Amino acid sequence: MRYFQLYVCFFSARLKAMMEYRVDFLIGALSILFIQTTSILFVKIVFDHIHTLQGWTFHEVLFIYGIAATGRAIHQFFFENLWVLGSAYIRTGNFDRILLRPIPPLFHLIADRIQPDGIGQLIIGVIVLGIAIPELSMPWGGLETLILALLILSSGLIFIAVNLFFATFSFWMVDSFPIMSTTYQLSSFTNYPLTIYNKGLRFVLTWIIPYGFTSFYPAAVFVDQGGYHTVGYLTPAVAILCCMIAYFFWKRGLRSFASTGH
Amino acid sequence: MIEVRGLSKHYRIAKRKQGLLGAIQGLFIRKYTSKKAVDDISFTIASGEVVGYIGSNGAGKSTTIKMLSGILTPTSGDVLVNGIVPYRERQKNAKKIGAVFGQRTQLMWDLAPRESYDLLKHIYQIPEAIYQKNLHEMTEKLQLHSLLDIPVRQLSLGQKMRCEFVAAFLHDPAVVYLDEPTIGLDVAAKSRIRSFIKQMNEEKGTTIILTTHDMQDIEELCRRIIIIDNGQILYDGDLHAVKNSFLHEHVISFELDEEKEEILIPGELEGLVTYIPEEGNSNKLTLSFHPETISAAQVIAAVLHHYRVRDVSIAEPKIESIVQEIYERGA
Ligand SMILES: Nc1ncnc2c1ncn2[C@@H]1O[C@H](COP(=O)(O)OP(=O)(O)O)[C@@H](O)[C@H]1O
Ligand SMILES: [Mg+2]
Repeated sequence: MRYFQLYVCFFSARLKAMMEYRVDFLIGALSILFIQTTSILFVKIVFDHIHTLQGWTFHEVLFIYGIAATGRAIHQFFFENLWVLGSAYIRTGNFDRILLRPIPPLFHLIADRIQPDGIGQLIIGVIVLGIAIPELSMPWGGLETLILALLILSSGLIFIAVNLFFATFSFWMVDSFPIMSTTYQLSSFTNYPLTIYNKGLRFVLTWIIPYGFTSFYPAAVFVDQGGYHTVGYLTPAVAILCCMIAYFFWKRGLRSFASTGH
Repeated sequence: MIEVRGLSKHYRIAKRKQGLLGAIQGLFIRKYTSKKAVDDISFTIASGEVVGYIGSNGAGKSTTIKMLSGILTPTSGDVLVNGIVPYRERQKNAKKIGAVFGQRTQLMWDLAPRESYDLLKHIYQIPEAIYQKNLHEMTEKLQLHSLLDIPVRQLSLGQKMRCEFVAAFLHDPAVVYLDEPTIGLDVAAKSRIRSFIKQMNEEKGTTIILTTHDMQDIEELCRRIIIIDNGQILYDGDLHAVKNSFLHEHVISFELDEEKEEILIPGELEGLVTYIPEEGNSNKLTLSFHPETISAAQVIAAVLHHYRVRDVSIAEPKIESIVQEIYERGA
């Protein structure tokens, strides 16, 4: 509860700072809208030529896309600061400042910034889901919405855990941004059904960097084109496991930082 | 209050070989050299003391302060601050300490200082009444009223540093670490900050550890100094004792007309003056001496006799010269 209140304090300070740059704020939100709209148009164009993608209809693919976009929005809005752990905190020595505060360093780090692009992302995700869901050939009600919300939350947690894990390398190598961004790029594969990829890639996206659980497997809970229905229900467990591993690794990084300095 | 016993910090520095092959090799096999940044130091600081922690660049001052404040884990030895082992209970320790690291800020760049203070109030859970009282008193002492609502990025360095001090003292810390807090400031800002430190120490009994290159900071604030060099303590004791023997030292700096491979002290000054090496300057000859041993006129005459000199300046005694002097005496 204390940390919720504290987050609100950080949040309002950040919001005030952001209002100093109102134009950046708008440009950020608009550019995300633009980027996302073009990539959805791309999906649309593909489906104008073919009717199904290995058994997946246009709206089913859109559904997968929407889950990924919404999950990503959670990560983007709250945890965006992980990207600059190396460049803005460790390299500059500002991480020392964080360690002098009587609050957990990870909390401090993520509270230090909010990213309005996340709102653009969230709006897109919700709109896409709103278009896709009525066209799915299944009844949709309150229970389905609840389950979907839980799965999307898990999707967000997986995005967060993966990024936290790779950001932590900064404690040893000063700035792990290149590793983080390379890994993050893998996540764009999961805008589409995993079944269209070869075995190797599917394996990586399921077992190594479990981005598959940010969109495809959760979607399979509702639209099952290949027998992943049960796997989909594992999403929350995968999310919790990922967060635990990432957090444990983060703690390990902190300890190492405390003994090497930067 | 602060107890340090046998404290050491050895950094591991990865040895890199030259060239691409070396870089690739470095990915698999790493050789490390060890740097003893702090090497078996011990001291005790009582509550309410103001201690000057001095030494030349790279002596190990910042490393010590990082260990005292819980940022760094020592390689060996014990630290106890307010009865807490800082690196073990970092957050608990953080509640009771404050810090100013020169040229690094804890204020939010795009916002007015007041916003940062308000956030600190929540971070340190300062009761509203105490917060208001402290903020009022401290802004008064540092004359900050007119700056409280201006975005930090628009403030001058001196104004920023004054705001920084409020941030460090706002939560009534028992100990405050100041690591070169006056670096780069003008005389007016320095003196305002000094009197603030003095007042906080006298009124609130705040224990203060100060590292600085400015002898005037030390003279005005500290009764006790600890001199560290190469990670080891050279001197720990009364400032006055050192001052009488060293601070009345004179330092004269000669700018020579030509660059020299090696600058030698003129023969007739041998044993009477101390040569102070200057970084990067091969045409500077800096000497320190006691006015009782030899007069400034004699020193200048002797140097002019041996070298063509472009400029002469009488400098304030530097930390480096004191360290050097203590070294030579000890040897
Ligand atoms: N993180 C680090 N890794 C390796 N060596 C370091 C690190 N930090 C400082 N050093 C080295 O340790 C020595 C002491 O540094 P420092 O404590 O910063 O000295 P000071 O503050 O007295 O100038 C220096 O030789 C410095 O180069
Ligand atoms: Mg230093």
